[in-house]
Parts: sequence; structure tokens; C-alpha cells
Amino acid sequence: MAWYQYLTLISLLFCCIVCLMHLFRLIRLGSPVDYATPGVKTGPAIAYSFTGAMSPVKKESAYLHLPTYTAGILFHLGSFLSMIILAVHLFSPIITGFLSWPVAVFLFASGTCGISILVKRIIKSSLRNLSSPDDYLSNILVTLFQLATALSLILPAAGPVYFVVSAILFFWFPVGKLRHALYFFAARYHLGLFYGRRGVWPPKPR
Amino acid sequence: MGTLTDPIKNKGLAVFEDLPDSRLITQLNSCVHCGLCAETCIYYLATGDERMIPARKVDLVASIYRRYHTVAGKLFPAIVKARDLDDDTAGEMVDLLYGACTMCGRCNAHCSIGIDIGFVIRTGRTMLSNMGMVPATLQSTVDAALVSGNNMSIPKEEFIDTLKWMEEELVDELNDPQAVIPLDQPGKRVLYTLNPREPKFFPLSIAAMAKIFYAAGESWTLSTRMYDVTNYAYFSGNINEASVIANRLWDEMSALKTQALVLAECGHGSAAFRWESPNYLHQKFPFEVMTSVEWIARYLRQGKIKLDPSRIKETVTLHDPCNLVRNGGIIHEQRYILRQCVENFVEMNPCGSDNYCCGGGGGQLAMSEYNERRIKIAGIKADQIRKTGAKIVVTPCHNCVDQISQINFHYKLNVQIKTIAEIVADALILP
Ligand code: SF4
Ligand code: SF4
Repeated sequence: MAWYQYLTLISLLFCCIVCLMHLFRLIRLGSPVDYATPGVKTGPAIAYSFTGAMSPVKKESAYLHLPTYTAGILFHLGSFLSMIILAVHLFSPIITGFLSWPVAVFLFASGTCGISILVKRIIKSSLRNLSSPDDYLSNILVTLFQLATALSLILPAAGPVYFVVSAILFFWFPVGKLRHALYFFAARYHLGLFYGRRGVWPPKPR
Repeated sequence: MGTLTDPIKNKGLAVFEDLPDSRLITQLNSCVHCGLCAETCIYYLATGDERMIPARKVDLVASIYRRYHTVAGKLFPAIVKARDLDDDTAGEMVDLLYGACTMCGRCNAHCSIGIDIGFVIRTGRTMLSNMGMVPATLQSTVDAALVSGNNMSIPKEEFIDTLKWMEEELVDELNDPQAVIPLDQPGKRVLYTLNPREPKFFPLSIAAMAKIFYAAGESWTLSTRMYDVTNYAYFSGNINEASVIANRLWDEMSALKTQALVLAECGHGSAAFRWESPNYLHQKFPFEVMTSVEWIARYLRQGKIKLDPSRIKETVTLHDPCNLVRNGGIIHEQRYILRQCVENFVEMNPCGSDNYCCGGGGGQLAMSEYNERRIKIAGIKADQIRKTGAKIVVTPCHNCVDQISQINFHYKLNVQIKTIAEIVADALILP
């Protein structure tokens, strides 16, 4: 293993430890005790919170902003794919071969989505005023991660840059807003629980 | 030199200490600042003011949390936009969390992550309340309830006089001396509550519900000691005061030994009592609790009352009170009732759990300093109503009735506004 791979491993380890600390805190604090709990099962509402309620037909944040929503979905898919590729690359030589080109093209596309979201953040005043440096930094790191992954697939010589970018990303991941990757699941759980207890979700047919 | 001393600040920051569960830290760590919630909020839609985007309100609370409870916020606050709790921050919180949010919760379900934004804003209000920064107008409404037992400080004699007057009208109308409005009678099946706006401004809505109870042959009573269904401390964020107010209805239920508590048409009162009071008081209800909308729907399902829809020929639309519908799950009952009591019912768009707030929730009607803003954001509701072409707007909430009456006047809608009980009473076939 080269030094830059060790660096990435250390950053990943740091990221995992801090994320686990967040996770353990969430588990330790647990679900709210609700004395007003009605006699309905909240399971379907929680399931709905992760499925139907997320659909672009239901969420105004999606159907009023379809280009941004689509870019966001692709950007997230690119992130997951890049993480899987990183896990492979850490313990085996950089993948080359017939699959690397289509994957690289997809990651270039998802990285471009990241750039478009970044540009929107810069030019739209309401978004700019909402943003912190962390928002820009996180976007840039994830976009670079995807682009570097793509590059490494078609140009193995880019490996050191790729691993260094990955390392920086994973050091920042649990510190900045990227930790929403963990809290997202908790947020949807709580929302499902809230609307489920009150009988709002899942929606009942009229 | 700021006015927020450390002891005061610490009272505000206490909301982040000794968390009972993971709900709050989840919400405070989740926002990605995508800004996609902007158009869900009537404040932003009506004013275009970026400060009123729901995420900005969330961030006010979350940025303080980051400053005092995260490593990044402590080490490099500028990078993660972590804010000190100081005079500027607290002032902005008062303006945006009290003055630019009806706590309608419309942004919750549409947030791309699923943040319970209403809950975060209520937590922010609790911080301000802990620091003694509740707007004086809202606090005076809470104080009125605490001191007099009802938020309009209606003296008991005046209340009884109004009810006796309504009773005489009812006896005359129904031509039956048994058509009474029972007061403080123990052992009845139902204790019915009121929004103090009813005895003060809309006594006919009390008569309407009394008529429905009469037609259904209900065993019921009102209490002259505690009848107020509202709980403005739910909006001020003061949990202790909210508990005191809620506890009075619990006590009255046991004093009168009634089996069921029927909550008058009041969105926030229903939510505060039905969903929050058991948690304020750390106990489950030992009695049945229902809103009057559900209660009337039950009468209809059981065939205890019958309605004649041919009496109401005008087009009728429905405004869904946020706290009853989106935050309370009562979505279909009011529609079930309306379809049986009017000939031509049309929905607003959007409606149900997606409906826009009328602009009067969150304590806005009590905070006169934000009147101009409140009427401006109501333009969205005015447009919704106008598009339906309805001549009657029904809404199961007296606060909404009040706000829509003001919208009616300001935006020249020329509609009649009624509660569910009132329109049911109009269509009621008497036994
Ligand atoms: S939609 Fe949700 S995650 Fe996005 S900015 Fe609004 S509150 Fe934050
Ligand atoms: S709760 Fe309603 S008023 Fe408050 S920020 Fe959300 S959408 Fe706007």
C-alpha cells in the first residue's frame, strides 16, 4: 500500500468512528415516549416516510424543482457508486477494463450534476444567503471525489490524487453537513413516527 | 454591551441539554441547505422575503446548537455558520420564529430530508420563552388564561348570561323546554369545551352545537369553571404554562366525572390537548378525547342525526386548519360531514394535509405587532378561496374563522364563513 492509500484508510477509519459515535448517541437517546400514542401501528407510516412520501409526486421540493431534484438524485447515486469503487480500490489494484469507461462516464455526469448544484448555490441569492462555507466545501469535495474516481478508472496514474481527495473528503464528512447521510435516516424515521401516530401517514383513500 | 446575560442565555440554551430522546438532535443535524422548502411556506410565497424561507428559521436554532454543541461549531464557527446566542440572534429569532411562522407544518412533509421544521421552530420558541422573550401580546393572552381560566378573561357571570341567552333562543327555536344548555352537571357522558371566541363573539356556534347534541339525544354538559379549549402557551413555547392550562381540563373531567371530552372546533386547542397534553402531564388519557368534528361524524355514521343537503344550495368550500388536519390527522371526517349537508361542495387546491395555512395560526392572531404581515400572507388563502367560486367557507376552527373573516373583509371575497357545527345545524333534520 502506498502512503496515500494509508492516508485514505486513516480518514475512513476516522469517519466511521465519528459516524458510529453519532449513531450510538441516536440509539442511546432513542425514540420519543408518546403518552398520546393512539392505537395505530406506526410501522406503515415509517415505511411510507422512506418510500411514498419521498416520491417526486408527493414532495413539493421535488415536483416544483425537477431539474434540481434529478441532479440531486444523480449526484447522490454518483456518491454511493464512488464509495463502492473506493472500497474496492483500497484493497485491490485500480479497476480497468471494459466496465471502467461507462462507469467513468456516469461519474463525470453525476459530478457535473454536483457542479450544477454548486453553481445554483452561488448564483441564486436565496440559496447563497442560506449557505455556509461548509455547504460549498462539502459540495466541492464530493464533486471532486466523483470526478477523481472517474479519472482514476480511465487513467490509473491519477491514483494518488484520487486517494488524497478521498482522504480529505472522509476527514470532513462527519464534521460538516455531510453527516446528513446518517441523520437523514433518523429524520425520516421521526417524521414517519410523528405522522403515523397522528394518523396522517400513510394517506388514507378518500 | 448586550442585554442577554449569561444566566439568561443559559436558560435558552437549556433546551439542548438533557435531551429526552433523539428527535431534536436529529432535526438540528439534518438540514442540507438545499432551499427547496422555500415555496412551501406562505410567508416566503407571499412576501418573497428570503429570511422567511423555512430553512432560515431552522438554521437560527441549528446554528446556535452547532456553536455550543459541535466540534466544528466550537473550533471554526465561521465555516459551519455557527452563531452565538446574543442580542442580534435572539432578536432575529423573535421576529422570524414568532412573527414569521404560523407553525403550520406545511414545510415538514415537503422538506427534501424530512426535517420536522415545526418542531424546531417550537423549540426555538421555547428557548425564547425560557429567556423571557415571548412577545408581550402573546404572553398577555397566555396570562389571561392562567389568571382568569379563559384567554379572553370573560367573567363567569357574563359567560353564564350568554349561555342562558342562547338557551332561551334554543328553547324558542325548538319549541321544547328540554332543549337546554346544561352547566356544571356531573355524571354526564360528554364534557364539551369552547373556544372563548364563541361566548365572546360567536355565541350562535354554541347554540349550533347544542342543537346537534339535542338532536342526537346526547347526555352532555358545559363547565363554567373550565371550558377553554385553547392553549396559547403551546404557541408561546412555555411548556410549564401549557401544562398548567392543559391540566385544568383534566381536573374538570374528573371533577364532573364525565366519560368523554369533546373538543370544540379549534385547531391548535385540539392539537395541544389531544396530542401534547398527555406528554406535558406524563400520563395517558383516562377518558375518551375527540374533536367535535369526529363526534358529529360519529353521530352521522350511527344514524343519530340526519341532514338535509337541499337546504344549502350555495357552493361551499372547506378550509383545513393546519393543526387539526396536517398535524392532527383529521382529514376525511369534515368532508364526510359536508358531503351530507350541502349540495355543492368544492375543494380548494391544494387541500387536506397539503392545504395552505390561513395565516392566523401559531399565535399570529394574538400578536398584533405582526398584523400587517398576517394579512399580507393571507393573500394566498384569499386566492384559493376565490378560485373555488364558493359563497360559503366552512372551517372547523374558530381561529381560522376569525382570520378568514378578516381576509374576507380585506380581500373583498364576499363569502360567508361557518364552522362545521353551524353548517350541520343549518341542515339538521330535527326529531
Ligand atoms: S428542504 Fe429541508 S433540508 Fe432543504 S433547506 Fe429546507 S429544511 Fe433544509
Ligand atoms: S411551519 Fe408553516 S409558516 Fe412556519 S416555516 Fe413552515 S411552512 Fe412556513
